[in-house]
Amino acid sequence: MDYILHLILLCGIYMILAMSLNLINGKCGQFSLGHAGFWAVGAYTGASFTVFTGWPLPGFLMLFLSCIVSFLCAALAGVLIGVPCLRLRGDYLAIATLGFGEIIRIIIINMDVVGGPRGFTDIPKLSNLFWTYFWVGITILTFRNLMHGTHGRAIISIREDEIAAESMGIATFKYKTLAFVIGAGFAGIAGTLFAHAQQFISPQNFIFMWSAYILLMIILGGLGSFTGSIIGATLFLLLGEALRFFGETVAEYRMIIYALLLVLLMLLRPQGLFGKGELKFFWKGSKT
Amino acid sequence: MSESTTLFLYDLATYLLNGITQGSVYALIALGYTMVYGIIQLINFAHGEFYMMGAFIGFFALVSGVPIWLALPASMLGAGLLAMVTERLVYRPLRNAGRIPALVTALGMSLFFQYAGQALLGATPRSFPQVIPTKTYQWGELYVTNIQLLIIFCTFVLMVFLWWLVNKTRVGKAMRATSFNHHVAELMGIDTNKIIGLTFFIGGAFAGVAGILVGMYYNTIDPTMGMIPGIKAFVAAVLGGIGIIPGAVLGGLVLGVAENLVVGLWVSTYRDAIAFAILILILLFKPAGLLGSPKREKI
Amino acid sequence: MTTLLETRKATMRFGGLVAVSDLGLEIFPSDLVGIIGPNGAGKTTVFNMITGHYRPSGGDILLEGRSIVKYRPAHITQKGIARTFQNIRLFKDLSVLDNIRLGAHHRTGYGLLSNILCNGKYRREEERIRKESLELLKIFGLHKKHDHLSKNLPYGEQRKLEIARALATDPKILLLDEPAAGMNPKETKDLTGLIRWVRDEFKVAVLLIEHDMRLVMEVCERIYVLDYGKMIAHGGPGDIQKDPKVIEAYLGVQDE
Repeated sequence: MDYILHLILLCGIYMILAMSLNLINGKCGQFSLGHAGFWAVGAYTGASFTVFTGWPLPGFLMLFLSCIVSFLCAALAGVLIGVPCLRLRGDYLAIATLGFGEIIRIIIINMDVVGGPRGFTDIPKLSNLFWTYFWVGITILTFRNLMHGTHGRAIISIREDEIAAESMGIATFKYKTLAFVIGAGFAGIAGTLFAHAQQFISPQNFIFMWSAYILLMIILGGLGSFTGSIIGATLFLLLGEALRFFGETVAEYRMIIYALLLVLLMLLRPQGLFGKGELKFFWKGSKT
Repeated sequence: MSESTTLFLYDLATYLLNGITQGSVYALIALGYTMVYGIIQLINFAHGEFYMMGAFIGFFALVSGVPIWLALPASMLGAGLLAMVTERLVYRPLRNAGRIPALVTALGMSLFFQYAGQALLGATPRSFPQVIPTKTYQWGELYVTNIQLLIIFCTFVLMVFLWWLVNKTRVGKAMRATSFNHHVAELMGIDTNKIIGLTFFIGGAFAGVAGILVGMYYNTIDPTMGMIPGIKAFVAAVLGGIGIIPGAVLGGLVLGVAENLVVGLWVSTYRDAIAFAILILILLFKPAGLLGSPKREKI
Repeated sequence: MTTLLETRKATMRFGGLVAVSDLGLEIFPSDLVGIIGPNGAGKTTVFNMITGHYRPSGGDILLEGRSIVKYRPAHITQKGIARTFQNIRLFKDLSVLDNIRLGAHHRTGYGLLSNILCNGKYRREEERIRKESLELLKIFGLHKKHDHLSKNLPYGEQRKLEIARALATDPKILLLDEPAAGMNPKETKDLTGLIRWVRDEFKVAVLLIEHDMRLVMEVCERIYVLDYGKMIAHGGPGDIQKDPKVIEAYLGVQDE
């Protein structure tokens, strides 16, 4: 039972990760492959906040504050990485963000205060289902509202046609950075929740593979659909567990199956399950 | 010169030599990367895995007693064919789907080969047989092995061969035409599918050579050995100017030397960050690469 | 009359190639001006310089007396220069209404925080922009299709929508890059009327590039003729038709 609850909690974290990457890759069309880096920044800053301040506050308040701190730190990392990288287009941007994701990890490995390669231990267990899904809710609301306004439309217009958007008086660079920074910030929150659920994090948790997995979640659900991201994150988790269910030998092939899934999706159904569409249920009126 | 200065200079020379050796390996992989990008604008993430396959084919050939002069062409052939088949089955259907879907697919293929390799071959590193006895030449305090010389020599020969192939032969002309414009090339009677397949084959074969040479140099291989050198080779290709053959070699050498200098003179844990830092700097300040000329987007 | 837009010796070089050299244009408020010239004369390059997509290699471009060459395209649009593209560049997967609302983006007066909180200010401004956009669409006869995806409109309506979207930015001058390209004679004729009417209704100056000679001669009050990046003639339609240099430039390469 505990295991299942833990999975549901992880699922919420994946949802936040997937939605935040989808804002950058799917809505804004800026292909980032370094999302695990922002997740790491959030996890380490959030954990550092609770462990190093040691304020005698109630757990939920500490968690809330550390979510805010990690949002700000990851968003700051987003600015530092986004401003130089977002001038690049398409595949070059993908490689540059991949590079930065790895640089973040290498920096963490070299930081002794947070345990370096050995990992960060003794993080208090503050995440629970309620607070995880509270943040899932905040993410959904924020993104939904954003997409209903002119700032969200400006972000989408860049995906549609960057040159035309610029010609319509939309400061495209500013909006690319905005999408990147908000996406990074929410990945940071996912990081804090993760750190305070696992109680132990190490640079191994945030290897490039994870950027690829988050990418798999959003492609599975549909690039450009937040509804899809939520479903994609859930399916990703269920798939992993279902393979375990078939026995250990099958579970060993999990990575192979994920990789094949990614390739087959691109070949057979590149738009994923939802394409760019959203469920009417909670994205009323939103066309894309 | 004081003794410490002399020692420092020998150290420096050692770092340079190691850097050039390492850089030659990057260059060999980068040649394939740059050819493939040049012809279909695909960042073939899986390219590093062809290098890994080359190493393993060489390994199995050598441990079963095949002599090196047969094992080397075998691993070239194997890695080349694997590259060609991958192109045919996976990349070709996506050729007109845009760069990002192709990139994601290449990423998937890379992960697939790594984990399939782990499942089939085991994740533990294997020690590569010593086929050529290592000979060390000494010059003052500088030591050079025959393997290092072999790696540098092979890279140079293959670069010249490739440059000749692309610039001086009919096939090369067809490659350049295909890279310039597929449709026009096709109208001119060039079988672009064949040319692209051939490009993948040559790229894969070069990566295969790199794999077997690295096996001999470091004496250990494993199924994930292709990931990092693959990405670094891409960095080398971008650094030199993507699509430019001497550029790939220049980029590889610069990267190898830079890494070894930083590791030798500063801290070793930042080794893998160097490549990415260089990549980001070059993309920001000279995106066309050291030898390239800038392009402009048409509106 | 004061000049609205002026280029002073504007020059654009790409490597060794001079695409536009020493160009001097003058556009006045409510002007209706055409730029013509054979293929490769540098017409679209002129647009790209004016709208900030290219930074001129030499010379200056002034909007209401102030230099705009250092601004980014978005900033120039906000200052009052709007454009359409030779190959229609609508936001294809967005609705017709969203295309217009994006044109009005810089006039939408609420910040990011209001957007995320969906507060009163957000609702008021969204309502205003929606209403204005629908009115604009009505003028162009597109309001019934406001919720269609723009890629699903017929070709002629896509051209219209692109002009409407440019007008939504509230420009002082409208740059049309081959508005009649790909249109049939009937659509071209309608377009002639539309361009005049847009100028009068929205009080904008119109600068257009066109290959269709008849449209240019019928619509434009003044015409600049470019050949190999140089202005070879300037005047009213009647003068241009008689100008020997223009006839020579066109007869040499006449293929339309």
